[in-house]
Amino acid sequence: MDPGLLAQHAFNGLMLGVIYALVAVGFTLFFGVLDVIKFSHGDVVMLGAFTALAVSAGLTGAGVMSHPLVLLAMLVIAITLMAVVGALLARLLVLPLRGAPAINVLLITLMAGTVIREGVRLFYPQGSNPKPFPRLLPGGTIEIGSFTLRHDSAILFVIGVAAIVGVYLTLARTRLGLAIRAVAQDPETAAAMGIPLTATVLATFAIGSALAALAGVVNGLYYSEISFNLGLLLGAIGFSAAVVGGLGNVYGAILGGFLFAALQTIGAVALPFASAYKDVFAFAAVIVLMALRPAGLLAERSAERI
Amino acid sequence: MTASLLDARGLVVRFGGVTALDGLDLSVNTGETVGLIGPNGSGKTTFFNALTGFVRIAGGRAQLAGADITGLEPRRIAARGIARTFQRLRLLLDLSVFDNLMLGQHLTLDHGLWSSVFARGRFAAAVRGQAEVARTLLAAFSPGLPARLFEPARALTMIDRRRVEICRALIRDPALLLLDEPSAGMTPDETAELMTDLLAVKARRPALTVVIIEHDMAVIERVSDRCVVLDYGRKLAEGSYAEVAADPVVRRAYLGED
Amino acid sequence: MTATIWPALAALLVSAAGVLGLLLAEKQWAVIAIVIAAGVAMLVATRLGWDDRIRRSGGAHACTVSGVALALVVATAFVLREHNFALLMLCTVLLTIVAGLGLTIQFGHAGVVNFAGAAFFGIGAYAAAVLATKTALPHPLVILAGGVCAALIGSVLVLPLLRTRGHYAALITIAFGILFKTFLEVNDTLGGPQGLKVPGFALLGHAFNDPIAIDDETEWSFYLAYAGLSLVIAAAAYVLVRRLERSWIGLAFDAVRLDETAAAAFGVNVAAWKIAAFSIGNFLIGLAGAAYAMMTGFVAPTSFTFGDSLILVSIVILGGLGNALGLVPAALIVVLLPEKLQAIQEYRFLLFALLVIVILLVRPGGLLPRPMRDYSAGEIR
Repeated sequence: MDPGLLAQHAFNGLMLGVIYALVAVGFTLFFGVLDVIKFSHGDVVMLGAFTALAVSAGLTGAGVMSHPLVLLAMLVIAITLMAVVGALLARLLVLPLRGAPAINVLLITLMAGTVIREGVRLFYPQGSNPKPFPRLLPGGTIEIGSFTLRHDSAILFVIGVAAIVGVYLTLARTRLGLAIRAVAQDPETAAAMGIPLTATVLATFAIGSALAALAGVVNGLYYSEISFNLGLLLGAIGFSAAVVGGLGNVYGAILGGFLFAALQTIGAVALPFASAYKDVFAFAAVIVLMALRPAGLLAERSAERI
Repeated sequence: MTASLLDARGLVVRFGGVTALDGLDLSVNTGETVGLIGPNGSGKTTFFNALTGFVRIAGGRAQLAGADITGLEPRRIAARGIARTFQRLRLLLDLSVFDNLMLGQHLTLDHGLWSSVFARGRFAAAVRGQAEVARTLLAAFSPGLPARLFEPARALTMIDRRRVEICRALIRDPALLLLDEPSAGMTPDETAELMTDLLAVKARRPALTVVIIEHDMAVIERVSDRCVVLDYGRKLAEGSYAEVAADPVVRRAYLGED
Repeated sequence: MTATIWPALAALLVSAAGVLGLLLAEKQWAVIAIVIAAGVAMLVATRLGWDDRIRRSGGAHACTVSGVALALVVATAFVLREHNFALLMLCTVLLTIVAGLGLTIQFGHAGVVNFAGAAFFGIGAYAAAVLATKTALPHPLVILAGGVCAALIGSVLVLPLLRTRGHYAALITIAFGILFKTFLEVNDTLGGPQGLKVPGFALLGHAFNDPIAIDDETEWSFYLAYAGLSLVIAAAAYVLVRRLERSWIGLAFDAVRLDETAAAAFGVNVAAWKIAAFSIGNFLIGLAGAAYAMMTGFVAPTSFTFGDSLILVSIVILGGLGNALGLVPAALIVVLLPEKLQAIQEYRFLLFALLVIVILLVRPGGLLPRPMRDYSAGEIR
């Protein structure tokens, strides 16, 4: 294959990988602190994108034409709102079910996701149709042989990577990060050492959901189109990525995100069947991987106490 | 010479970098009751888990009645005649006492698809028969228990739950019974009561072989024919309770005296 | 003292009257009135302890009560003999119950999660479409084959499902559900997004899609025949699931769900029982899918989405996880209400999602929580 084309596919795959990793890190953070899966996460991504869309529509309507200003406003508002939504979901649905079977949390958040998804479909103006997402980033390209790098893609890639690095630094270097890691390690000991469980959990859900909002905006800017049901597939992909990487492990989630994107890209480009099968291939590969490494690639060793 | 029922040679179990069992030799004769003691983390429960197939044995071998059971799955080991209780009770609290005991009978029950769906009369007769067996067994531990056969296990007190768990292990008449700290969570009086019942069962089934993990020295002194002391996954001492209790090495390592 | 049969009979009659009323009601206010009345009746019955009496009475006279229930469904279908739409609804409820029974065995009894219920329903439906078009297989066998196909394709998932637990297992079924729908959409031999036509059911030369002519003036709806078919399948599936539940097999399922370690310690082959529950469940779901496809004459990928799988799971949770009887009110609510209340039709996914959230928060046992297996009240049958 032509090296330029190869680079093109590789970059597209990396871009997808960044979006998936942003979503997967949320899943793995929630699982870390509470051992639960918050399946509404994909729909929070979607809600973040729609919030941003509404902000842009509102500002454009009010006559604000500056692209950077609109972009900034929509990032700030979407991220803040989704952080609040995430914390609320944790407070109202996840924390009350502590002590219930873990599957109930999965169920209740699946249903919460449905509520968000249907809410947007029904109550956002013409919510059931795909919506064009404004192109707010500079539109030029850099051409190197047959490899075309769009400026906007490059910027999005940098933003995504920066966010992932930011989360990593938050976890590794801040008091909040220490609290999150302590709760993830052992909630009882953490509580005994004076780390407030509820506050830490809410903060974790807020951070994860803020990342989801960012993923939603990046996704919208990259594809220039969003729809109410984008969260379903993105959620499933993010969950897959987190699980394949090993739930609770942030590196695993990032690795899983890029791996899933690689699988899709290979499925679309390198395999003999039609590119429409790329998701079939990627999910089938996930199922096979789960059979081979049941606890994920970077599994944390844990034995049940008998 | 009595044949040894259980024969463990050089058992090694590792968790990551920690060696939980470090070449343990232990054999138990048919009909014997062996008390297994040692500080927390000395490998007592790990020994049970290794024997019953719940942790991987990294070295050595275990034989039951001359047949190798090393590395078998738990269910296959159960089929060879080892039954156990758990330190933190593992009753199915949402099910009835009867259903819990029937889990103990699992290997003798008819699980055919056809007969389960169509031979309902035969199932009803089996339930009646098993209920009689269960009542008789429960009555040996507490006169009040048989009447509670169809109550949920959750409704029972701690001591009754222990009794039911021991009955669940006994009901299929195992060759080897492993009791993991039966006194945990109970008062000394309750423990004494439970041991009296256990000794009574033992008197009626002389071939029953028991290994019991206990922290309560009074229990060990009362029920065991022989004592084995573990420390750091190895056998520290072995002998009658009196011998072991007098052993200066044991006193230093375990009883904390010097 | 054995319980009398009357409480159970009374409950059955009242429920049947309510369901019939709901199926026939055309005015929105009538539908709302019936729904409110049903809700109030359930609340009152629970408050006064009647639910317990009804249960004991039903347990003590299981054979008679089941017979009466069957007769009441037949009577309902007969009353509706000229109402196409109402009969279609009745059939849909019955077949949804069959699919729910499959999930009940998997999820409720053995604790094997399945978030791909709609996919297995779809496998049954597509199998029926292909077999009834391409082969001369008698149609009852086509429907059975639909179930078998679902069970066989499900067995592909068995290895990863066995090696994983909880969330990981949930992911595998979710991934499979999405994979399946995407596969259908892009696969041209199976009709792609347009789907396939399915021939109607035929038995001994009688085509079920022909209206039943009584005399020159009266014609009964062809759905009456499908109601009979659905009822036979539902009754058989119900008896199968209930009997399995109250057998040593059911105990093995419960043990596997509640405590795999304790189960294995007493010789239970945990993996084998999970496979058994997963396969029996998928068989029932596929059966329902095949019958449904032959009734509606049409299959398309859009009917087998992840959202539809969630609806199936909602039914099982709403009714009371593990309680086969709870599927009846749950399926009625989930299938009938959106069709009868146009006002909520558009909002049904939203409303059911909210309903399940409320149920999980305030009444995790569901509408009819599963009672403990009880052999004392003459329930061994």
